[in-house]
Amino acid sequence: MTLLRLEDVGKSYGGVAALRGLSFAVGPGEIVGLMGANGAGKTTAFSLIAGTQRPSEGRIWFDGKRIDGKPAYAVARLGIARTFQIVRPFAGLTVIDNLVIAALYGRLRERSRGAAEARAREILAEVGLAADATRPAETLTLAGRKRLEVARAVAAGPRLLLLDEVLAGLTASEVAEALDMIRALHRRRRLTLVVIEHVMRALTQLCQRIIVLHHGAKIAEGSPAEVVVDQRVIDAYLGTRKL
Amino acid sequence: MTRQGWQTGLVLVAATALAAALPLALGTYSLGVALDLMMWIALAESWAMFSGLSGYVSLGHAVFYGVGAYVTVLLWQVLPLWFSVPLGGLTAAALALLLGWPCLRVRGPYFVILTLGISEFIKYAVISTEAALGRNGRLLIGTPSLTVLFEAMLALAVLSMAVLQIVRSARLGAGLLAIREDEVAAEAVGINATAVKLSAFAMSAFIPGMVGGLMILRSTYFEPMQAFSPTTSFTIVTVAILGGSDTVAGPLLGSLFLVLLSELLWTRAPEVYMIILGVLLVAFVLFVPEGLVGRAGRFLRAPKPGPSSRDHRAVVIEP
Amino acid sequence: MEEVADVSLILSPQLLAAALVLAAFYALIAIGLNLVYGAMRLLNVAHGELVMLGGYIAYWGFARWGISPLISAVFAVAAGALLGVLLYATIIRRLFRSTRMLARVEANSLLVFFGVSVVIQNVMAVAFTADQRGFSYMDGVLTIGSVRIEENRLLALAIATVACVACALFFRYARSGMAMRAIIQQREAAALVGIDVDRINIQVFALGFGLAALAGTLVSMTAQISPFMGFPFTVSAFVIIILGGLGNLLGSILGALMLAAVEVYGAALISPSFRSILVYGVFIAALLLRPQGLLGRSIAAR
Ligand SMILES: Nc1ncnc2c1ncn2[C@@H]1O[C@H](COP(=O)(O)OP(=O)(O)OP(=O)(O)O)[C@@H](O)[C@H]1O
Ligand SMILES: [Mg+2]
Repeated sequence: MTLLRLEDVGKSYGGVAALRGLSFAVGPGEIVGLMGANGAGKTTAFSLIAGTQRPSEGRIWFDGKRIDGKPAYAVARLGIARTFQIVRPFAGLTVIDNLVIAALYGRLRERSRGAAEARAREILAEVGLAADATRPAETLTLAGRKRLEVARAVAAGPRLLLLDEVLAGLTASEVAEALDMIRALHRRRRLTLVVIEHVMRALTQLCQRIIVLHHGAKIAEGSPAEVVVDQRVIDAYLGTRKL
Repeated sequence: MTRQGWQTGLVLVAATALAAALPLALGTYSLGVALDLMMWIALAESWAMFSGLSGYVSLGHAVFYGVGAYVTVLLWQVLPLWFSVPLGGLTAAALALLLGWPCLRVRGPYFVILTLGISEFIKYAVISTEAALGRNGRLLIGTPSLTVLFEAMLALAVLSMAVLQIVRSARLGAGLLAIREDEVAAEAVGINATAVKLSAFAMSAFIPGMVGGLMILRSTYFEPMQAFSPTTSFTIVTVAILGGSDTVAGPLLGSLFLVLLSELLWTRAPEVYMIILGVLLVAFVLFVPEGLVGRAGRFLRAPKPGPSSRDHRAVVIEP
Repeated sequence: MEEVADVSLILSPQLLAAALVLAAFYALIAIGLNLVYGAMRLLNVAHGELVMLGGYIAYWGFARWGISPLISAVFAVAAGALLGVLLYATIIRRLFRSTRMLARVEANSLLVFFGVSVVIQNVMAVAFTADQRGFSYMDGVLTIGSVRIEENRLLALAIATVACVACALFFRYARSGMAMRAIIQQREAAALVGIDVDRINIQVFALGFGLAALAGTLVSMTAQISPFMGFPFTVSAFVIIILGGLGNLLGSILGALMLAAVEVYGAALISPSFRSILVYGVFIAALLLRPQGLLGRSIAAR
């Protein structure tokens, strides 16, 4: 049983390959980690899955349907939501409106504003932003914005949630809180997660399986215990090791 | 609906009824001024419905006004007015769809200047067509009375306000605001930006098309240079930004101010009137982008000196 | 009365001369706009108003005091340059210092400049009335081969050509000319290699505005002027930049030739009223098909 499957997916920017022959599958309910040095192609993989960009080659299936080449909004409506590494809140709108919009348009397509608002409040409570609901999003701190990024993605009602470095730049205690929040969301909302993170410790705590990218190609895949002892991973990380 | 909603609704109905009775109380001149007021309200509210909410600032709405006028003139004494004027609106909406398809892919200042350029292009195309047909302006004889035109324009003004209010609270409005803030993020949560922008653009052209039809019946003389004048676009934008372009009250207030100003100056010193409009546009874009209504709202809402760096209700076009 | 479109028209040296004169004016205006837009990334829709102001300086000098437009041209360039420096020193520099203001201005630059242009036009209309004005200066007709051309046109063509060549040399060989090109290509990188961006920006405004004012005096020698004459020039200049490429001086000159040819031949072959349709048609097509010409980076929403 797979929810998401990539087959030989590649992307090049004007001749430079950001991603090559990437294949992997994710089953429903799994939490899969995506790891790799700067520029390894992690964010690119998300953009291709979410339809923000078109793959140069390869095929992507979601829930049995081909989704490569579909526009981002169509993919979102099928049930894939992503966060952006460099957060992109609807800065001028209130925090709750950020979520209401996602609820109105995402997979659930809430029928009324009232229903969308109810859903938005529920999610805000889960991510700990309830007190900030009516503030303009641009007034949040970085940690707050990262939470908002996750909350908005969840509000779209996804089955598969792609989290791009939502822990980066947070303090140790903020990381711990955020991990709890992600686990809670996963459990309660029956989400499938693919998580990009540099912080190895966080990934090993969170994921059952980790995929390692290097220079746009997959070099390892397995349980956290297997991956940390993999020779290719160690070699690839020697320079940038922050395990 | 909330209690306050009901109260506002009642006040609006009462105000509309009062306005509808104006022809009984006003002389020809004053009624003409009232007609102008209704015209600007209808135009600016329609503009705000698209440009205010989406941040795609159209400086070409004169083309919809002009096309509506042209259709009405072409069908004068061919089809009844209750048919030809709405047909003018529909033509304007269709034109918006056609133009929006390529144009709405371009953002920021480029969209602004593109709409202006297209509006001018179509103006000259109509001028050429009329010249080729050997028509030097067209005179309409036997147009409806001022009272009839006023009531029709009042209906359009009220309609335009209702449309803006409904869109603001509907899914479409949420989508437009999201697009204004960040189009890529908007698509990522399921918004089909192209469809949302196109449908809103077409909707915002519909009423201006009908306004053009009515105004040409009022002036009884069609001349493309006048009907498609870019001054109309410029004034619409100024009026909407002056009042505040993403509330219903904003364009209303802006229109009131404009009509007052034009009463004082237009006949006596049209250039001074244009200078004042230009200065106001520059000043408001730079210093009060949230408009009068937005500014007033901020004062009423007990100004919170928070870390808010941007006036989050302003028309901000991302470059 | 309608002239039958004639194939021999295309070969007529008369039209070629007309196209050359127009192209020379356009090139001056477009180079100025290219500089200012390239350096600041601000779409100055009020650029054509500088042409108009230059025209009025020549007209005023000639009608009031009988000053030759050739002398006025010098004043006009100085006045345009001064205006550019003042504008930069009082407003633009401050805008670029505050990131918050800058974001707002860049985003809404078009509305701001459009407002400014409306103000300038109408201030001039108050001062000089909205009437078309003109003066006769060197309006004898020369016959060169089969071409009949007014002396003032020939003179304007010569001056504009010299100015264009001077600009080309300046950009090629002068230190600040090269610095200007560097800034247009890459503002940050230019600052990094030690170019005093602020000082060059002042020069850009002075030169760009001065060239537009010069073009205005030349236009006024050959045609009627009015407070509202500027906007079509702005549009033409934008078309030319898009066609010729941002920061590309030679491109601007080629673009000017192309647009002038399209206009002059189009008007002659089809009808004079077709001229505006052609210009705006090229304008729209260029914006839609080659937006990168105005940019260097993509401006499409996605
Ligand atoms: N729009 C683009 N145009 C050109 N090259 C790009 C583009 N986006 C990404 N790249 C290149 O593709 C490669 C992969 O980038 P990507 O953002 O996917 O890396 P990443 O693994 O997410 O890195 P990081 O950990 O820094 O976020 C990089 O070399 C990057 O420079
Ligand atoms: Mg990344």
